[in-house]
Amino acid sequence: MRESTIMKIHYGTALGAVALVAVHILFRLTQDFSQSLEYESVIANYQFLPYAGMLEIILILLSIHGFNGLRVILLEFKQGPSYEKAVSYGCIAAMIAVIAYGSRTIFMTSMGMV
Amino acid sequence: MPKVDENKVNENKEGIKGMANPGRYGIERFAYWLMRLTGLGLLAYFVAHIYETSNILKGKAGWAEVLAMTQTTEGHIVLTIVIGMCVFHTVNGIRVMLGHGGIGVGTPGRADYPYTPRSQNYRHKIGIYSAIVLAAIAMMYGMTVMFGE
Repeated sequence: MRESTIMKIHYGTALGAVALVAVHILFRLTQDFSQSLEYESVIANYQFLPYAGMLEIILILLSIHGFNGLRVILLEFKQGPSYEKAVSYGCIAAMIAVIAYGSRTIFMTSMGMV
Repeated sequence: MPKVDENKVNENKEGIKGMANPGRYGIERFAYWLMRLTGLGLLAYFVAHIYETSNILKGKAGWAEVLAMTQTTEGHIVLTIVIGMCVFHTVNGIRVMLGHGGIGVGTPGRADYPYTPRSQNYRHKIGIYSAIVLAAIAMMYGMTVMFGE
């Protein structure tokens, strides 16, 4: 993929994540901060499907943005065909692992498998 | 053989240490350095947050265990730093995006000594300082919410 396209994705995921993370934080402020973190409150949040869907989108957007950012930083340190390939595939693998692990929490909790 | 500037050679040999040194080349360099530092910090927090929230699958006891670990003074201080990193990274990121889009970089001009790039102008400097100030305000607000209970 062209680097310019990757940067467009990087910026797009950033803007999307900023908007959705703001909603995610505002949800914590709808009640007392510590109250909003109580078990029943968190479970209720997950079982509210639009919110769970939003969490999944945040997870995907931030994983793409975060691991692409890490890739960019690592490529600034050092260059070379094999190094660049290793960094790019490593970041993609880490991104998939984080999305899979986070999705597992979202799906299992929202489906009441707790 | 062309004469080699010893100082230049030494500067170029600094490697990662040289790249990480925020004390040279002005506020733009500092913003570049802070952008990467906050990015890495936020990625670390994001991965830790995914792990932390996965404890909800262990039931009420597992969740209480995690809360007991994070809802402490140290946990709140870490979260305050995360808030600051998040706000700086967001505001400075928007500045960088606008700059890449050609907004606020100024018009081309004749290169006169001391060859300051036209893009490193007051608009972007204001953007960087705003990011730092907004991050500080958000950290103070975060502390009020977390420690005020």
